[in-house]
Amino acid sequence: MTTAKAPAKAQSNNLAGFLIGLAIVVVLAFLARWLKIQVYGAKLPLGIPGRALEYPLWAAILGLIANWVLKTVNIYDFVKPGFRTELFLKIGLVLLGAGISFKVIITAAGGAILQGIIMVTAVFFFSWWLGGKFGLADSLRAVMSTAVSICGVSAAIAAAGSVLAKKEEITYITALVIVTALPLMVIAPLIAGALNMPEPIAGAWFGGNVDTTAAVVGAGTIYGETAQKIASIVKQTQNALIGVVAFLLALYFSVVVEGKKERPSAGVIWQRFPKFVLGFIVASLLFTFGLIAKDPGSAIAAMKDWAFCLAFVCMGLELSVVQFKKMGWKPVIVYLIVTLFNTLLALAVSWLIFGWLFPASL
Amino acid sequence: MKINEDWLAVIIAFALMLLAIVGVIAPAWVKF
Repeated sequence: MTTAKAPAKAQSNNLAGFLIGLAIVVVLAFLARWLKIQVYGAKLPLGIPGRALEYPLWAAILGLIANWVLKTVNIYDFVKPGFRTELFLKIGLVLLGAGISFKVIITAAGGAILQGIIMVTAVFFFSWWLGGKFGLADSLRAVMSTAVSICGVSAAIAAAGSVLAKKEEITYITALVIVTALPLMVIAPLIAGALNMPEPIAGAWFGGNVDTTAAVVGAGTIYGETAQKIASIVKQTQNALIGVVAFLLALYFSVVVEGKKERPSAGVIWQRFPKFVLGFIVASLLFTFGLIAKDPGSAIAAMKDWAFCLAFVCMGLELSVVQFKKMGWKPVIVYLIVTLFNTLLALAVSWLIFGWLFPASL
Repeated sequence: MKINEDWLAVIIAFALMLLAIVGVIAPAWVKF
């Protein structure tokens, strides 16, 4: 009897943890929205506009505070199942598609594919080379290089599967991605504002430079509506390359590192392809063909903001820095140097592509 | 059966869109 009851009890505990965790996320999202409304029109010191303190920042800060509180009172692990950054983010991105004309996606995707290929290749190999110079393990630098060159957390997980990385290497890189992306989410729009960057170029820059999709959307949201759309398109185009990189990594590790004769299947390209991108495209087609009218459109836009807000709260909630102490600071130095390289290269490339080769107009 | 998170996100998003299109979710209710 006891053995039969144990899994049932664990399952109901999981459900309770999920529901309580979800409730915490929702309450924090409401609080973030309230804070945004209070500060939006305010004049801040050092000439920082109230708009720079958009909801992504409040949501992430509240998430970080709650993260600390929940760990302090020892209930973090119980409520963690309710923290679903990726799920909320993907829902928000599909809803975002319902407000973007397909023509814009086609126009921006041309530049985004070119930018994605340049950025992913250059940043991946620079990170791989630098990690080697610093003596990092092959599996760690493979996960790091994929995370920094493609899209942070989900790319790190995809790469880890290909190179059989250790669990702590994934946790470590995930923490590094979030720790770097959170400040960049606020700093990048401020720099773009100081440089008077047009929104499409700024969006392309955020999409190419900020490491995780949630922070890319956050930076775009802070800078403006057009920047949010272009940043999301650029990032999703880059995300679509995950499968290709995961396949090539699996091939390299299997053949070169492990010396095996069998080759990994190219099916991994589809397996790792972010399927929500298809939802984003279909939603955009519905909008383009007029199937989404003004009123439902504004409800969908509002739900998109809610989904993103929930994702930003979870981003703060999911940060874990435990692995930093265990793995030392060498990878941090490599990661920061590569992030700087990524930022500067993305600035030049996005200006060249979106300002000159494929000027996107909305 | 465990559903892939990407597809789950697509299903939820389209369900929300459908509810907005048929008028079940009004813009005022979800105002951000």
